[in-house]
Amino acid sequence: MGAPRLAGGRYDRRVDGEVQTLPDHEYGVLARGVTRRFGSVEALRGLDLTVPYGRVTALVGPNGAGKTTLLLVLATLLRPDAGEVRVAGLDPAVHPDQVRASMGWMPDVFGVYDQLTVREYLAFFADAYLLGRSRAGERVRSLLGQVHLDEYADRPVHVLSRGQKQRLALARALVHEPRVLLLDEPASGLDPRSRIELRDLLRGLAEAGTAVLVSSHILTELEEIADRIVFVADGRTVAEHEIGDLAARTATGWRVRATDPVALHAALERHGVAAGEANGSGTELPPMSEDEAADLLAALVAEGVRVVTFAPIGSHLESAYLAMAQERR
Amino acid sequence: MTGGTMTDDPTTGEHLSGGPTTGGGLVRGIALVTRHEFRVRLRTGRWRWLLGAWVAVIAVFTGLLHSALAVTETEPGIPLFGGLMLFVLALVLIISPALTAQSINGDRERGTLATLQVTRLSAAQIALGKLLAGWGVGLTALVLTVPFVGWAMLQGGVGGLRALVVMVVVALLIGVVCAVSQALSALVARSITSALLSYVTVFALTVGTLVAFGLALPLTAEKVQQSTFDGQEYTTSRVRTERVWWLLAPNPFAVLADAAPRLPRPVDPYTGQPEPVPFDPLGEVGHEVRRLRVPSTPGGPEAPVPVPETESGPVWPYGLAFDLLLGVGAGWLTVRRLRTPARTLAKGVRVA
Repeated sequence: MGAPRLAGGRYDRRVDGEVQTLPDHEYGVLARGVTRRFGSVEALRGLDLTVPYGRVTALVGPNGAGKTTLLLVLATLLRPDAGEVRVAGLDPAVHPDQVRASMGWMPDVFGVYDQLTVREYLAFFADAYLLGRSRAGERVRSLLGQVHLDEYADRPVHVLSRGQKQRLALARALVHEPRVLLLDEPASGLDPRSRIELRDLLRGLAEAGTAVLVSSHILTELEEIADRIVFVADGRTVAEHEIGDLAARTATGWRVRATDPVALHAALERHGVAAGEANGSGTELPPMSEDEAADLLAALVAEGVRVVTFAPIGSHLESAYLAMAQERR
Repeated sequence: MTGGTMTDDPTTGEHLSGGPTTGGGLVRGIALVTRHEFRVRLRTGRWRWLLGAWVAVIAVFTGLLHSALAVTETEPGIPLFGGLMLFVLALVLIISPALTAQSINGDRERGTLATLQVTRLSAAQIALGKLLAGWGVGLTALVLTVPFVGWAMLQGGVGGLRALVVMVVVALLIGVVCAVSQALSALVARSITSALLSYVTVFALTVGTLVAFGLALPLTAEKVQQSTFDGQEYTTSRVRTERVWWLLAPNPFAVLADAAPRLPRPVDPYTGQPEPVPFDPLGEVGHEVRRLRVPSTPGGPEAPVPVPETESGPVWPYGLAFDLLLGVGAGWLTVRRLRTPARTLAKGVRVA
């Protein structure tokens, strides 16, 4: 099967070395050759990452790829064994306090102070980020609106649902208006509507200039949220891509359905396309790039096949991810 | 919404004035953590019930001790105060480990520590703020015993200075136990383990010092050549308590008893003869501890009986200094453990 070539995105520094020549402050996060081991386990084995301001970068990889470890390093909590790290232009191991002032982090697993009200919770963190009384009050008010928790402002945190707690944690990460935002699996536990709101919120932050890094497993969501995607596996960066490029270059399977299945099959056979079995939702076609698929569709329509649906199976991101996982097996 | 921050100098990332570790900022951060911990604690436990039970226990003990002493003693004030304070010390030694035993690893287990560590609060502010919160609860319990102490003082015989010194020493010892317990919670991954270890520490300070002293004492024994008045030589042995007294010094009860200022020896105003001394538990213990520092005279049937009044300088400064150093060391260890970015992690510890 046509394995997509994953190397060579515009931001892939190993291709053109562009990153090295740019000053640090162009990027919210820069990581080069980061390693970290826990005892005998090598969690990070030379990971590279670039997160530009004004864009949403997705960190994708299988469980145990080192995503959470990397985020802990970026969040000033863990010291890397080797490698260079810059967050908001500074080394988190040397200037943790300054990095904290401009970095927001939301862990994948977290607790909230169940006994506090939602407003008290955010106000405490506003104080802990040294916001000052008047700015803190204003920030808490606007955040409550942003994550749609106004009506819960004076309810204790423990009455919140899982998704609401997730939104509260996001508000906490944003309390000091960080220029770099690190989110570890932010969409887990969110209902579809909350996910759409999260997407809109992150897009809005990126448009305002924030560098956003999102690690996630939910690939279909990422495709709508992220501008860029970084694949990691076994503690290493496998590839960095623009989402737009990914769709164009990644071959995915397609599904086609026509009013007359027999005519459709005859036409597919004439074009030498190895069609799969037909079922209620249509006929599955082998992996093709968007260009190839568009050509085939045009040909089918020109030959008078009455096509009702013609759509990719799964997402491009999913296909690229699976192809990457396949290559590494 | 983050548009405003984009204008900040991107090379420093510093858009907030005053670091958290400078002067007033340090205190403000500690106060913030302490207030926060207090608020969370107050809303979690059934504090009213617990403190109510505490007061009830103290009240019952004071009442019973008073009625018992009223039968035997003419001046029940002094033994009542001493007995009450030793009882209070025993109780606070039991409750204090629980006040901070989950301070760090409990937050880790609940997933609230890492989010605190990524704020502008420093490791020292988090550690000290949490310690003060736990200590504060212990001090609250101590303050609730003040009415009973006052009542004992009203019975006469106990001066304000003595009461004050004893209260301050108990307050400091609560702090020491809280600090040690907190350090253990920072070192050990599971809160149940650290709670257990805190109780082991308290046990070591109280019973352990006694056992160590008891076991070390025979090792100091030495043979002494003696001769009877008719010139016959014989060998006896004596123990040198002055070589091992320091093993008892850190004992909280020894510290408390010895630190209590001595009562004046009552003298008959007419004859100038010393009057019988009222029973004073604190003074007795303190006296015994101080006698251990005096080089013992060779024992034997003909040896002069040691004068009971012979005692050395005070023992409590050494004991209290040791205990306070233990507390300060524990605090330092906690701060070290909380410092991020972390290089090493304790076994089984998850950062977040």
